[in-house]
Amino acid sequence: MYRAGTFISEESFVHRLDARLKLAAVVSLSVFIIWAKPLTILFMGGCLFCAVLSAKITLRTLGQAIKPLLFFIVLIFLAHALFSRNDGSFPGISASGMREGFVVTWRFLLLITAALLLTMTTMPAQIIAALKYFLRPLKHLRVPVDDIAVMIMLALRMMPFLLWQKDKIEKAQLARAYDWRRSSLKRRVGAFLSLIIALLLGLFRRADELALAMEARNYARGERSSFVVLKMKPADYRTAFVFAVMLLIFMALNYYLR
Amino acid sequence: MISLNNVHYRYEPEGIAALRGVSLEIKDGEYVALIGPNGCGKTTLIRHLNALLLPDKGSVEINGLDTKIAKHHTEIRSCVGMVFQNPDNQIIGMTVEEDVAFGPENLRLPAAKIKKRVAESLQRAGINDLATRNIENLSGGEKRLVAIAGVLAMNPRYIALDEPTAFLDPAAAARVLETMDNLHRAGVGIIHVTHKMEQAALAERVVVLNKGAVYLDATAAKVFAETKLLQQINLRLPQITQMLLKLKKSGLPVRTDIFDPDEAADYIGQLIKKK
Repeated sequence: MYRAGTFISEESFVHRLDARLKLAAVVSLSVFIIWAKPLTILFMGGCLFCAVLSAKITLRTLGQAIKPLLFFIVLIFLAHALFSRNDGSFPGISASGMREGFVVTWRFLLLITAALLLTMTTMPAQIIAALKYFLRPLKHLRVPVDDIAVMIMLALRMMPFLLWQKDKIEKAQLARAYDWRRSSLKRRVGAFLSLIIALLLGLFRRADELALAMEARNYARGERSSFVVLKMKPADYRTAFVFAVMLLIFMALNYYLR
Repeated sequence: MISLNNVHYRYEPEGIAALRGVSLEIKDGEYVALIGPNGCGKTTLIRHLNALLLPDKGSVEINGLDTKIAKHHTEIRSCVGMVFQNPDNQIIGMTVEEDVAFGPENLRLPAAKIKKRVAESLQRAGINDLATRNIENLSGGEKRLVAIAGVLAMNPRYIALDEPTAFLDPAAAARVLETMDNLHRAGVGIIHVTHKMEQAALAERVVVLNKGAVYLDATAAKVFAETKLLQQINLRLPQITQMLLKLKKSGLPVRTDIFDPDEAADYIGQLIKKK
């Protein structure tokens, strides 16, 4: 089964782009998404979805990746729809609240889509290499950039494990006839605590083994080399230029639109 | 050569001794199976070969390098690769080639050399088609092979594998064993920890551990001829040996040093024809 947000091996224009360019584009786009006016981000959304389709990512796959966040998306929408009233009375549904809810949810969706576009089209090693590239100046301040990169890699690696472990413990609870829908609050809290403890125990055990495995493969803190060579190609420069022009257009739109 | 001299080890100062005076020598390119009941010290022993554990008493030398000297560790860990029991606890990268590159990256090799090593290791492990695959989408058997490729990228002279076929279906287990056999043929020394006697019988030499000490150390034929000694520590014989022993007990003059099913079938077929 496809796991949310992980790299999808495909041959596409977006896949071939330099990871640094994609990372920089996503960061700048994210800032703009937060800052821009509602109508501008509507246009931006269209462009972003075109980029998603050109990366050969189907809307179904995108939906699968967004699905785990559906609860937060609905929560964000409801929070704004119910509590953003200009007349100061709350809670209650109002036209302005609904509008605010849609805009904030749209912004949130675009932020997630931009991040997913990066992670689905770029191998984690390339993202880490790009991060290392941008963090490189910090080496002069003795910031352990290589160690940070390994930490990010391990965090990415642990994420699916955590989800899998949570699933396993929940199934084990179900197998022993625990049904949270029919349980009292006290039992639910107890079951939740035992889930957390089991998760943490599993995580620590795994971290211990992983540390041994890393040691066995000669890992030591400090500088490491990388098999990823980042090199900007003519297509990357052209894309960077087009992206910069589009960003300028969005800025202009943002200035003239209401 | 790997040399263990009177190795003693305890996990806790007051705890039970995991190893009690183990002395062993493993030659370059040798295929050694390490068997024994649960808790006999197999995993503890192989972790000494990679300097992950250091002996409380005695010494472990890998090509003359003492594991107790920290500056030797990089060379020792490049020389003896370690494949852990659970590949999920060993795989660090998110994609196959990313994980295989982890070791050479730690050795600070240049990118071109790392890429070459990754390609070679994937080829040797027979999984070059998986290079860009996401680890999460691999089967258990494929993950074992990725773990082996990750170790091969360090160019080891020996590989210690802790139950490499545990939890695998027969087809995946056969693929892992075939890869190990190919590596052995290519000159890599194999130290194979296993509970499966049929797999141990494939090795050139079988070392039986019991209560942290070497109990038996000989060729598979000689070790599995010691039925009473093996029964005393609750180890069962390979199924083929059990069958041949039963035939012998029933009065048939059969050999009992055959461990390969095909060879056993041919042998029994010939016996039937003679009769």
